[in-house]
Amino acid sequence: MLFVSPFLLAFAFAIAAPLAYAAYLSLFRQGLVGGNMFVGLDNYRRALSDTLLHAGLIRVALFLAVQVPIMLGLALLAALALDSGRLRWAALFRIGIFIPYAVPGVVAALMWGYLYGPRFGLVHQIGTHLGLPLPDLLSHSWMLASLGNITTWEYTGYNMLILYAALRSVPYELYEAAEVDGAGEIRKAVSLKIPALRQALLLCTIFSIIGSFQLFNEPNVIQALAPGVISTNYTPNMYAFNLAFNGQEFNYSAAIAVVLGGITAVVAYAVQLWTNRQERAL
Amino acid sequence: MDTSRRSLRPSTRTATRTVLALSAALTLSLTAACSSSSSGNGAANPAAAKSSAADALTTPTTLTFWTWVPSIQTTVDAFEKKYPNIKVNVVNAGQSAAEYTKLQTAIKAGSGAPDVAQIEYFALPQFALSKQVVDLTAYGAASLKSSYTPSAWNQVALQGGIYGYPQDTGPLTMFYRTDIFKSLGLTAPTTWDEFAADAAKIHAADPTHYITSIDPGDAGGVDSLIWQAGGKPYQTTGSTSVTVNLKDSGSAKFATLWTSLLSKKLVDPTPGWTTDWWKSMGSGKYAMWIAGAWAPGSLETTIAATKGKWAAAPVPQWTAGANASAENGGSSDAVVSTSTHKAAAAAFAAWLNSSTEGATSLNSIGLFPATTGLLDSSAFLDQTFPFFNGQKANQVFAASSKAVTAGWQYLPYQVYANSVFKDSVGQAITNGSDLSTALGSWQTAISQYGTQQGFTVANG
Repeated sequence: MLFVSPFLLAFAFAIAAPLAYAAYLSLFRQGLVGGNMFVGLDNYRRALSDTLLHAGLIRVALFLAVQVPIMLGLALLAALALDSGRLRWAALFRIGIFIPYAVPGVVAALMWGYLYGPRFGLVHQIGTHLGLPLPDLLSHSWMLASLGNITTWEYTGYNMLILYAALRSVPYELYEAAEVDGAGEIRKAVSLKIPALRQALLLCTIFSIIGSFQLFNEPNVIQALAPGVISTNYTPNMYAFNLAFNGQEFNYSAAIAVVLGGITAVVAYAVQLWTNRQERAL
Repeated sequence: MDTSRRSLRPSTRTATRTVLALSAALTLSLTAACSSSSSGNGAANPAAAKSSAADALTTPTTLTFWTWVPSIQTTVDAFEKKYPNIKVNVVNAGQSAAEYTKLQTAIKAGSGAPDVAQIEYFALPQFALSKQVVDLTAYGAASLKSSYTPSAWNQVALQGGIYGYPQDTGPLTMFYRTDIFKSLGLTAPTTWDEFAADAAKIHAADPTHYITSIDPGDAGGVDSLIWQAGGKPYQTTGSTSVTVNLKDSGSAKFATLWTSLLSKKLVDPTPGWTTDWWKSMGSGKYAMWIAGAWAPGSLETTIAATKGKWAAAPVPQWTAGANASAENGGSSDAVVSTSTHKAAAAAFAAWLNSSTEGATSLNSIGLFPATTGLLDSSAFLDQTFPFFNGQKANQVFAASSKAVTAGWQYLPYQVYANSVFKDSVGQAITNGSDLSTALGSWQTAISQYGTQQGFTVANG
C-alpha cells in the first residue's frame, strides 16, 4: 500500500478528480441569462440528438478506419526491416523515422500547413516545377487525407519503436531453429515475428484509437488556413472546445467529453475482446 | 506571419492564441466553479465621482492592465510619470478570444482578473450583460461623451450604461494599388457597381489576379460590409431579448453582390493573414484591401517593398454620391467587476483614452484615434504617409469615421456567433455558393444558441 500511494495520489488528483468533476458539471446548465440549475441527464439527451456532434464522430471514425491501418502497416514494415539486420545505417534509419514524434504536434501542423499552401506552399511549387497540376490539399475533398498524412508522419516512428522493442524480446534461438529449417527473412517475419507482435500491435491499435477520437491539434491549427473547410465541429474535441471557450457552454461540453470518453473506451475494449477471441481460436 | 501589428485587428484565429487559451483555460477552469460570485459593482454617488477620481489618483495603488497593444508601455509610462502614486502593470494575456477566455474564467474564480482590460467592441456587450465589467457612469464617464466620435461612443454606451472607454477605432477604408489601376487605365471605384466592373477587368487582364480577397473565417469583415450597406442584423431589444435578421436589406445587398463575384471567381476566397495571403498582397495579386484604418501599420511592416504604390480612398458606395461607412474592429478599455481599485482603474482608463496626452501617445504607437480632439486637429489631418506616396491619409480615415452609419449593434453573445460564422457563411465563401442561404443558416445557429442561453430571440 505504501508503495502504491504515490501513484494513487497522482491518479486521484490528475485523473479521478477531473473526471468526476466533468461528470458533475455535465448534470447542470448555466446560461448567460438565468442562473445555474440542475438538469439531470438533459445534456446527454441533447448529445444523442446533436447532428453536429454526430458529424464530428463519423468523421473521426472514418479517419480511424483509414489512417490507423496505414500508419501501423508502415510502422510494422519499418520495425521488421530494422530487426532483419540487413539495413545499412540502421541507427540513422531508426532515429530518422522517430524524430517527427519529437516535434510538438502544433509545430508539425504549422509546418505541414505551410507546405500544403495552395499557391506558395512547397508541395505546389515542386508540382508547378515538374509541370504536374496538383489538387488543392487544403480543399474539402483532400483535407482528411492531408490531416492523415500529418498524423502518420508524426506517429509512425513512435509505433515503430514499440513494435521494434517487442521484436527484440523474441528469443534468438527461435530464429536459429527457423533458419535450420530453411526459413528465409520473409518466412521468419510472417511465421514468427508477426505472431510475436500480437500484443504490441494491440497496444499500438488502442493508443491510435484513442488518438483518433481525440483529434484536435492538427485540424485546429490548419483551420486558420482553411476556415471554410474545417468547421467548428470538425472533430468532437474541437466542437467541445468551441462550445466551452467561445460559447461558455461548459456544462454541455463536459457532457460531450464524457460521451466521447465512453465511446473511445467501448471501441478500444471491443478491439481488445476481438483480438483475444482471435488468439483463442488459433 | 506578422503578429505584432495583427493585434490591432478584430480577428479571433491563430494557432498560438488557441493554444494559449486552451492551456490557460484548463488550468483556470478547475478553480472556476468553487468560487463565490463576483463582488458588487460598488456604484458610487455620481456627484462625488470627480473628487473620488482625484482622490484615487493620489492614493498609492497598483493596477493591472490586460492589453495586447504591442508598445502601449510608452503611454502607460507617461501616465505613471504624471500620477506617480499609481503603478500600472501591463500584462499581455493573449489577444482577442484568448484574452476573453482567461478574463471570464478569472472573474468567475474571483481572483486573478486585472483591474482594466482591453475588450473589442464586438465582445463588450457580452461582458456588460453578465456584469463582468463595471458601468462607468458612477465614475463620471458621461461627462467624457463629447470627447469621442459618436461611432466610437455608441459602441461602449450599451444596455443603459457606459461599459468602457474607446481605445481605438477602425473606420472602413479602401486601400488600393495605384500602379495596378493605372496600368489597366482604371480609376479607384466609387460605387459597388464600378467595383464589380473593375473586378471583371482586373481578372480578365490576368486570370491569377483579383480585385481583392474575402476571408471565409472573418465574421467581423462581413459584418462591416453589411453595416456599410445599411444592415442592422443584430438588435438588443431588452435585457434578455434580441432580434437577429441576416436577411435585412443591407445583408441582402452584401449577399447578392458577393455571391455574384465569388461564383464568377472575380474575388479570391483566401483566409487573410496567412503566408499565402501576404505573398499575394505583396506581389500585386490583389489590387485592393478593404479594412479598418488600423491597416497602414500592418501593410508598412509586412509588405514594406510595396511602399509608395498604395493609396487610401473611401469605401465604394451603394448609391452614387452617397457617403456611408462602417467600423471594422477597434477596442475599448473596461474596468473589471472584481477590481478592488475601481475608482483608480476608471481614472486610469479615462486618462489613457480621453486625455490629449494619452490619445496622442496611443496614436503614435499605431492606434487609430477614437477622440474628436485628435481627429479634428490639423497636425493629425496634415500628416503625410510615405507608404501612401505622401498622401494625407488621415483625412480619408477621419472622413470615414464621421460617415459611419448609426444604429449598429452587436449581440450580447457575439463572440460565439462570430465563432460559428465559418461553419455556414465561411463554407459558402469557400465553395462559391449562395451567401443569402448561408446567412440564413448562420442566423439559425445564432438563434438556437441564444435560445439555449435563455434569451428570447426574434427572427426579423
